[in-house]
Amino acid sequence: MAQNKLKILILDDEPIVCKRLKPSLEKQGFEVDTFTRSFEALQAVQNTKYDIIITDLKMEGMDGMRFLQEAKKLHPSSEIIVITGFATMETAKESFKKGVFDFIAKPFNLSEIQRVVMRAEAKIVGTRG
Amino acid sequence: MRILFAGDEHPYSAFALKELTRLAMNTWADVTLLGVQAAGASPGPVAPALNLALNRYRETFLNSWEGEDSPYTMANWQYEWNPVKEHLWEERLVCKSGKKDFRVRLRTGNPAAAILNEAREDGSDLIILGCTGGGECLWAGTAGVPQRVAADADCSVLLVKEEQPISRILACLDQTYISQESLEILNQMVTMHQAELEVIGVNPEGGLKKEVYTRLIEIGDYYQDRTIKINTRITEIADLDSLIAAEGRQDLLALWMGKKSILSRFFPRDWIGRLVAQGRTSVLVMR
Repeated sequence: MAQNKLKILILDDEPIVCKRLKPSLEKQGFEVDTFTRSFEALQAVQNTKYDIIITDLKMEGMDGMRFLQEAKKLHPSSEIIVITGFATMETAKESFKKGVFDFIAKPFNLSEIQRVVMRAEAKIVGTRG
Repeated sequence: MRILFAGDEHPYSAFALKELTRLAMNTWADVTLLGVQAAGASPGPVAPALNLALNRYRETFLNSWEGEDSPYTMANWQYEWNPVKEHLWEERLVCKSGKKDFRVRLRTGNPAAAILNEAREDGSDLIILGCTGGGECLWAGTAGVPQRVAADADCSVLLVKEEQPISRILACLDQTYISQESLEILNQMVTMHQAELEVIGVNPEGGLKKEVYTRLIEIGDYYQDRTIKINTRITEIADLDSLIAAEGRQDLLALWMGKKSILSRFFPRDWIGRLVAQGRTSVLVMR
């Protein structure tokens, strides 16, 4: 049923990434909103509780690390998946310290992110009982 | 990201392993170490020299992290069915890495075909392998393996000839189509090496190709928006050989490969192999 669909937010300043991910995750049965600007994504998070947030790190304005911190503050149970094209050991470590569910460096294929999202979904469903 | 490392028992594989380790430390990629041997080369499952090398690569790779920082720490114990022989399976307790996949695999047969098959079946985003320096490009004692892997892989390929710090990446652009994946691989390499990026538009004979020039400007803007230092310039296709020959020892030559490459018309026979052989230190073939 539509109201049982898990909600996913995707934030990436490269529209092609959102364009690629949205239909594939919708096909998996999720409700997906995409954003290319972090401030707009933050507004959405303030108004809506997303079960899973997929965010890029290197972006103009508010970067992904700050965005995920703010999102976690508002909704601690949201599972966050970081995707980044400019990965460093520090950003990977920092992401996990901030409680992200997984860290994926670009490029990735769709099946890789689908698997991670399914693991996050299993965790969320398991927690709800 | 999924990385396939193809290693043999020769020193260049150890250099290539260092590149793999650095990239994996940054990206927390899923990693497969692959050895290849000729069918029937050893009475055991793996020839002793290759076995020793793979053990060494595995230990070197896994020991590069400090304890808890490693995404590859063996943490998940589970029972799995494994084939013993035809029609016989055995359940064994296996331990797998915690956050990211780490596997060691062996294939038999033609080395280039084995590497390409593993990359395709595993959905690799990048193949890393070493080879002898100069134009010979031997891998596991066989000539032409890196060239064939670079020419026929579906994903990007990083070929490491020598252990050298990379301070500049020279990326040659000769076509208008650039895949998102190729840009992303380039971004990870720039980040890993903290390298300067120079994108060279290759100009075909008979005048400037406007689309390539436009793409060059777009790439410049893309990196400037991301505060990455980039230089762009244009070279005539006839000058490409001398440009590659003049490549510094700390340069990584990066080539965008696509079906519409003008280089394939200029160097119709094994043009990728030719450019791979010409690269002095490391060559990145991007797809």
